[in-house]
Amino acid sequence: MATEQSVDLVDDDTVGLFTKAVLLAALTAALAQISIPLPGPLVPFSLQPFGMFFAGLVLGPLWGGVALLLYILVGIAGAPVFSNANAGLGYVIAGQGTGGFLVGFLVGAVVAGAIAHRSIAPKPVAALSVPVQVVALTAAVLVVYAIGIPWMSFVTGLPLTRAATVMAPYIPPDLLKLGIAIAIVQGGYLAGR
Amino acid sequence: MLSYRPGSTLAHRLDPRSKLLVQFGLAIAAVAHPTLPWLVGTTAFALGTLAAARLSPLAVLRSYRVVLAVLALAPVVAGVALGPPWFRVDPALRSALHVGRILPVLLVSAAYLTSTPVRDTRAAVQRLIPGKPGQILGIGMALVVRLFPLVLADVREVRDAIHARGGEARPLRDRVRLLAVRSLERTLDRSDRLSVALRARCFAWNPTLPPLSFDRRDYPVLAVGIALSVSPLVPV
Repeated sequence: MATEQSVDLVDDDTVGLFTKAVLLAALTAALAQISIPLPGPLVPFSLQPFGMFFAGLVLGPLWGGVALLLYILVGIAGAPVFSNANAGLGYVIAGQGTGGFLVGFLVGAVVAGAIAHRSIAPKPVAALSVPVQVVALTAAVLVVYAIGIPWMSFVTGLPLTRAATVMAPYIPPDLLKLGIAIAIVQGGYLAGR
Repeated sequence: MLSYRPGSTLAHRLDPRSKLLVQFGLAIAAVAHPTLPWLVGTTAFALGTLAAARLSPLAVLRSYRVVLAVLALAPVVAGVALGPPWFRVDPALRSALHVGRILPVLLVSAAYLTSTPVRDTRAAVQRLIPGKPGQILGIGMALVVRLFPLVLADVREVRDAIHARGGEARPLRDRVRLLAVRSLERTLDRSDRLSVALRARCFAWNPTLPPLSFDRRDYPVLAVGIALSVSPLVPV
């Protein structure tokens, strides 16, 4: 007796968004391992927020969120994808007091995508105006700090203002990263994406 | 670096779903009760999980030394005052207690990482999250694990190429832009190729899940996980 099972193929558009989400999750993980040392007492220049920026801008709120969720899940599963090749649920919860920033990246990608595209389906990146990109990425950075600083305060027992003071040196580099991300989009490097 | 090591310990033989629940449960219990008795209890429990995975507590602490060193600064930062007496003990002790409750979470996480292959966690996620979202996340996790070393090699190659061309003398903004652009281009090219490959292979929603077996020994572990998860709701 012949057995039949229907095959439910994934449509081409979904495959394209899915593979971009997978690769941007891998890129976020790779960028988390790279930082540029700065002279003197300045904090090292981490490239990790670019993963969140590009996930939101290229993929929109749904698939941008999927990309960052995949990044976090793979880290919880044990792949050494967090900064300094760390992994595990313990690192997401605690990190170096910075576990909330990982969750902040996820929410930040969703927020950036929602503001930039204003729908679940992403538009071409070239169709996004500069002011919209600025608002979307600024909101994403604000969300990251709005989640990361109270989380740090909760984990370490530091008062909120003191946790904010500890993280203050990271804000100017993050604003510079925001500007670089927008310059990359304006440079046409994401045209056709 | 903590990663999966094949073995036949009790922790290795447990189903990843019950181990995940215990991890989440312990994290909830530990952060919900910042008191000394709970800190002692959760730490003793966490040491038990290390024994179940035959892991040395000292080796685990060594693996987490950077994380622990940074966390250890928190009580110092909390205690520092900008005037006499310059250092206040109460906020420092409070912070030390908060940081201390993270230790058992890290220990249990280490037991999970070393006793659970990534593919088992992927299978657990795919089973725990029903329908297409579970499929997407499960398959996505498998692909990210496979592709991460390639993308990391791409990014390092780009960085080395920038260095080789005297990129260190360039302004920071230019270096970062070059690194981000070239890495992103390579990543999106890989995405295009993966997309074509998946479509050529008739990528479908029909799942072919890796096998998992929920055994009799998992039930008490599951019960412990549930008890820890609901512990904040029960006055102790």
